[in-house]
Amino acid sequence: MRAEGLFGKEELEILKNLNFNLCLQCGKCAASCPMFLRTELNPRTLVRKTLYFTSQLTLYPPFSISEINNVWTCTTCNNCIIYCPRDVKPLNIILGLRAILLERGNVPSTIGEALENIYKFGNPFGISSLKRAEWARGLNIKKASRGSKIDLLYFVGCITSYDNRAQSIARSMVAILKNSEVDFSILGENENCCGNEVYYLGERGLFETIIEKNIERFQQYEVSKIVATCPHCFNVLKNKYKVGDIEILHHTQLLSDLIDKGMMNFSQRLNKKIAFHDPCYLGKHNNIFEEPRKILESIPGVTLLELEHSRRNSLCCGCGGGRMWYKDAGEISRPSEDRVKEAVDIGAEILAVACPLCLSELEDAVKKIGYESKLQVLDIAEVVHKSISAS
Amino acid sequence: MGELRNATFDVLTKGRELAQKNNARLTAIIIGHNIGPLGEELAYYADEVLVYDDYKVKEFHSEYYRQVLLQIILDRKPEVILIPHTSYGLELAPSLAVELNAPIVTDVLEISFENGIFTAIREYFGGKLKAKIVLRESPHYIVTIRTGVSKSEKNESKGQITKIQNLYLVDMSYKRVIKLIKPPPETVNITSADIIVAVGRGIGDVKNLPLIEELSSVIGGVIACSRPVVDMKWLPKERLVGLSGKIVKPKLYLAIGISGQFYHVYGMMNSELIVAMNKDPNAPIFNVADYGIVGDLFEILPQLINKIKEFKGRLK
Amino acid sequence: MNIIVCVKSVPITTEAELVIDRTGKAVILEDTPFDINEWDEYALEEAVRLKEKFGGEITVVTVSPRDVKEVILKCLAKGADRAIKIVDRSIAEYDAYTIARILHTAIKNMRYDLILCGAQASDDGYALVGVMLASLLRIPYVTMVKGLELANGYVITVRELEEGFEEIVEVKLPALLTIQTGINEPRYASIMAMRRARQKEIISLDLKSMNLTESDLGNWIEIQEFLIPERKKKCIMLCGDANEVTTKVVEILKQRGFLK
Repeated sequence: MRAEGLFGKEELEILKNLNFNLCLQCGKCAASCPMFLRTELNPRTLVRKTLYFTSQLTLYPPFSISEINNVWTCTTCNNCIIYCPRDVKPLNIILGLRAILLERGNVPSTIGEALENIYKFGNPFGISSLKRAEWARGLNIKKASRGSKIDLLYFVGCITSYDNRAQSIARSMVAILKNSEVDFSILGENENCCGNEVYYLGERGLFETIIEKNIERFQQYEVSKIVATCPHCFNVLKNKYKVGDIEILHHTQLLSDLIDKGMMNFSQRLNKKIAFHDPCYLGKHNNIFEEPRKILESIPGVTLLELEHSRRNSLCCGCGGGRMWYKDAGEISRPSEDRVKEAVDIGAEILAVACPLCLSELEDAVKKIGYESKLQVLDIAEVVHKSISAS
Repeated sequence: MGELRNATFDVLTKGRELAQKNNARLTAIIIGHNIGPLGEELAYYADEVLVYDDYKVKEFHSEYYRQVLLQIILDRKPEVILIPHTSYGLELAPSLAVELNAPIVTDVLEISFENGIFTAIREYFGGKLKAKIVLRESPHYIVTIRTGVSKSEKNESKGQITKIQNLYLVDMSYKRVIKLIKPPPETVNITSADIIVAVGRGIGDVKNLPLIEELSSVIGGVIACSRPVVDMKWLPKERLVGLSGKIVKPKLYLAIGISGQFYHVYGMMNSELIVAMNKDPNAPIFNVADYGIVGDLFEILPQLINKIKEFKGRLK
Repeated sequence: MNIIVCVKSVPITTEAELVIDRTGKAVILEDTPFDINEWDEYALEEAVRLKEKFGGEITVVTVSPRDVKEVILKCLAKGADRAIKIVDRSIAEYDAYTIARILHTAIKNMRYDLILCGAQASDDGYALVGVMLASLLRIPYVTMVKGLELANGYVITVRELEEGFEEIVEVKLPALLTIQTGINEPRYASIMAMRRARQKEIISLDLKSMNLTESDLGNWIEIQEFLIPERKKKCIMLCGDANEVTTKVVEILKQRGFLK
């Protein structure tokens, strides 16, 4: 590994206000980490090492950057923050270490490529921004243009816009909104990456550029409300952007609200046993657990099952935190496979998700294990769409 | 002594085409040590073969080769000098051009000399476009010819063989060729496989390789790859198909997520059946494939694998 | 040690459909994103690794018809110490030899131990400028380098040949090497590093005041016209959704006897 050696002054600045000196080394963060024992990642060790390192105690040898390189294995699920009894926030320490490594140029090449693509093309795939709204072709959706004033903006997100499978989430969402006669617009080719993964990968410079660009867009179109079908987009817009009065919603909140207001027509019975997988960025990061369940329970014919690990105890699918682009970290088995087995074990026919990353990762797991005939993975929007459509 | 490579014959074929069209003489030059028999072989492909046999040039060395060629060129005054577009060719041709102040164009597919104007056709943008290039009028033109694209035919008669002697070569101690390294023994030999499943940059990440492994296993093939996959160290070099890797001629070549730039195509274009999959409809791989699919391999491959499994399952 | 790295800014055409302009002699690139040529990226990374090991300075030199600020900032962010750029619209017309002459004029009075270039460029793939530059500077060169070691005023290189062969070539410094992809893993340049890179020295040389004569800037070759390659073989495109396409493929494989 290049750039070995002690942290420099600027790097110590990055770690300055973190709480590692509160750490008791109890190990609850490691025990709750989905990547612990599957891989080399150990939040407890990282906190300890960072503590020694920043206090520059001479008793301990200066460690090499290669020892902390496993920070790229973290899925940013938030478990370590939730279970820590002392407010150490190991995830923030991991983010600090990521920022340090990244500034030194030490990023796994596939992650570096995704970041460069976001910088150049506004999406991690490196596909032209002109193709961002191809999913919307023929659907007659209002797109923001000069002089528009948007009341409700549907922020689609990169994965949903470009990934063939995830595009169905957007189409379902649009169908639902139209069915409930909700007025909305999309940014179309002007939509840019929300920057959540950029933030959690430690690319602070790029994140600042993204926020600036996006806020300018929202202000330009005088947006009042934003709904996102991706909880990563929802998380960063709600918690890291300073959007003033703009209301930020995840689509499960919007749909739940429509149900409350009697604006949802469930015309089709859906006789299915459905288990809901709480996405980390919806549940663990933002404490939204009830709305998705309410939606599923409102659909006629649906039996809602609870997975063994649910709500705050939910199992991370393993796709967040840049893992979508990170080469095999040498896992013995992937967390998504465990999740899929849980769903099948309780007899679920549909595993409902509310995140395009979970969708992609869990579907891959279904295929890998060979459970295609046993379990279908669908976004809540797709499930609702099935129930409101005529066919 | 060494041996003559296919590249040599490719160039001689192009040379003969040009010579015939222009009623010109084609001369082959071979430089090396103890190369008499090779000179004999070459005589069936040219009007004359010049043989420079010297211990000093027993291996390729750009500086010595250039000196030899310069002396021959100044003496014989050829209008066109053809060199294969190979690693050696590119080590030699550009500096030769600078010394002669002669226009040079490289990696050329076609050449023609009509009405006193020398033109060449070559690819641009990795094969997405071609261009016709015009060379400025000059007593000499230098062209490096893309190899592997033509079939060579022997002449009926044998050309003249001339030994070049008494050349003075200045010592070039500032550059030394120390040794040649043969490729290491392999654990897998992709050149003998009937079915090859080749993967390119389109696979995105090493963690997606299991998908290719499954396809290869279910269809009974061997996995190969293009250059970017080796550069990223996702697969070992012994699986590389192309200019810097292996040349393969399987019955079936599945090119998955491979753009089809020439340095790869060179290694597989003589496969019996080529089926290519890429999300870019303009990918040059479709210029050599028999069947093409434009789409997302992550959508298509799992279904393809299942259908093949199903079909084979029914056979049992 | 002082290292010069020559870099080229090239269009990113992997996803693009290329449109030939009205004259037929050029491709429309106004809306195409540009980036550092991939081979040059490997060359720069090798230079930075040498600097980290032996100390010294890296100067990046680039010749381009269009703005190269982003490419230069990226190079400086990755570890180059200064950049020299020669930007002039007329450069779009120039061939390799002319570019080599411009580089030669810019570099000939500089002090350097090593010059690194990419083995070729992704847009036109001529693989000429590096060796031509070395010839004009009268320094030894090695092409297609995939590994190198410095030792006592010499550099020992591993050169890539065809079919998996390699050779070891040693040259005396100062020398020019053209670098092949895969020699190393290029590092990431963060946006903050690129911002800080603005502080580094960027020298802009005016082509017109470089005292290049008309014959210096005269091309040896010119593009007469661009052509869209015709498919030599008729490639049958299989259409439809994934289900339809895969069914067709299985049919074809079955018919040809590959699914026994």
